[in-house]
Amino acid sequence: MSTAVKNQLRVCLLAIKYNIMREMLNRVTFLTNIGFMILNNATFILQWMILFHIKEDIGGYTMREVMLLWGLAASTFGLSRIFFARAFSLPDLIVSGKLDSYLVQPKNVLLSVITSATNTSAIGDLLYGLILLCVFCFSLKRLFLFLLFTVTGAVILAAFALLLGSLSFWFLRADAFAQHLMNSFISFSTYPDGIFHGAARFLLYQVLPVGMVIYRPVHVMVDFDMGSLARILAYTVLICALAATVFYRGLRRYASSNLMEARM
Amino acid sequence: MNRHLGIRKYRVIYRSVVMESLQYAASIAMGFISFAIIIFVFIQLWNYMYSSPGELIAGYNKAQMIWYVMITETIWFGTPSQVVTRQVAGDIRGGNIAYLMGKPYHYCLYCLAKYTGGWSIQLPMFALSALGLGIVFVGPLPDLSPLALLAAVPVVIAGITIDAVLRLCISMISFWIEDSNPFQWLYSKLLLVVGTLFPVEIFPAALQPLVKFTPVYTVCYGPAKLIVDFSMEKYLEILLAQALYLGAALALMFYLYGKGVRKLYVNGG
Repeated sequence: MSTAVKNQLRVCLLAIKYNIMREMLNRVTFLTNIGFMILNNATFILQWMILFHIKEDIGGYTMREVMLLWGLAASTFGLSRIFFARAFSLPDLIVSGKLDSYLVQPKNVLLSVITSATNTSAIGDLLYGLILLCVFCFSLKRLFLFLLFTVTGAVILAAFALLLGSLSFWFLRADAFAQHLMNSFISFSTYPDGIFHGAARFLLYQVLPVGMVIYRPVHVMVDFDMGSLARILAYTVLICALAATVFYRGLRRYASSNLMEARM
Repeated sequence: MNRHLGIRKYRVIYRSVVMESLQYAASIAMGFISFAIIIFVFIQLWNYMYSSPGELIAGYNKAQMIWYVMITETIWFGTPSQVVTRQVAGDIRGGNIAYLMGKPYHYCLYCLAKYTGGWSIQLPMFALSALGLGIVFVGPLPDLSPLALLAAVPVVIAGITIDAVLRLCISMISFWIEDSNPFQWLYSKLLLVVGTLFPVEIFPAALQPLVKFTPVYTVCYGPAKLIVDFSMEKYLEILLAQALYLGAALALMFYLYGKGVRKLYVNGG
């Protein structure tokens, strides 16, 4: 690995470390944010207990598999907002001209932007996913796959947010569109894919990356398939390349608002 | 205190927010995308759960169950709660409340007037959108009478107001600890999971009386149940529960606000 890449990674990790340290300044708020996010997510177990009380099989999933699905969705969502929180609020930076301070830094602009914020409650999401895995369906092999898919899912999710957010370089109201698509992603990702048919299934596997972030990984964890694993890894690389290309294309159109801002 | 009670000033605040919301009607309409997708997910879920449309689950047939969820989701999406959650917590944390509490209105009633102005435009827009989605994907609600629909209107308004007052109470926690957001999450999830996704009858019989004591009964279940399956006995029961809940919630709100402002510490600047 070249020194430049190593340096860049070190800078990114330091940025995330300082983001978290900044959030930890108020320890009570930091801990309540994490603890309550875990509780907040746990309320949905009740929803699934009731649904499985009515029917034993929902879209080909049992309670254990739905918990695996929920765990992966929470962990993926959490990890992406711990490491790349700013990818989800990129339109705000573009529209209000706040990218200036990143452009003058002697490091990679894209990585500097997306790692410049951390969402504290996302730590609760990440932990909740791991807790669900340990409680409902733990095995060493599954833990390894779960961690791998949490990383690929977080990267795909951030890349998807970056792609949608970059539309703001061209369209002024793209932020609302991006927000609604991200909300749709969350709505779909916590329900079994077996309940969706036809056009909805096509949308989930071909348009929104829910299939590659959640559904396919869950199928691989339940019934291992090397081909699916390879497809997920290839998709991760492809969507990252596409998101970076679109971001840098858009950056050429970026106009500063002469906003004076210091990043510390 | 008396200088805070005149209704006219709150009417002016309400009207100004209504006018403002009308300016942003197109932005509100963008919210239909997320709303339609949530409704679509629930339609798919309940289509899967029911083996046949005539099957009964907890006394509800498929159309009634989907309409129940659509009504509760309409109330959920149609009431922009940030005025009584994030904005109040932000005012307290940022110190803006020190400026607002000196105005000739009661801060809590001012927030409620703003909140009411916000949903007065948004809720009817989402209700129309839900009506369209429901008729296309589920079909008309069986046995719906216009009289029942009319009778449910005050119950819907009371439910939304109780919800706002309770959210305001939670936001006031910011007087004591910096961030009240985590408490809002828990309250929202209680409403969402226990009240919005299912009717009370779906819970085990032993739990149902307990659920009736939670805000779920007056905020979500009451309005939706009366529209889906109206009965005079249920109507009076829900109205009584709402009156009691609203009284208690308002008393708590004024108490917490009174206690909180005495604790207020303002930095100069």
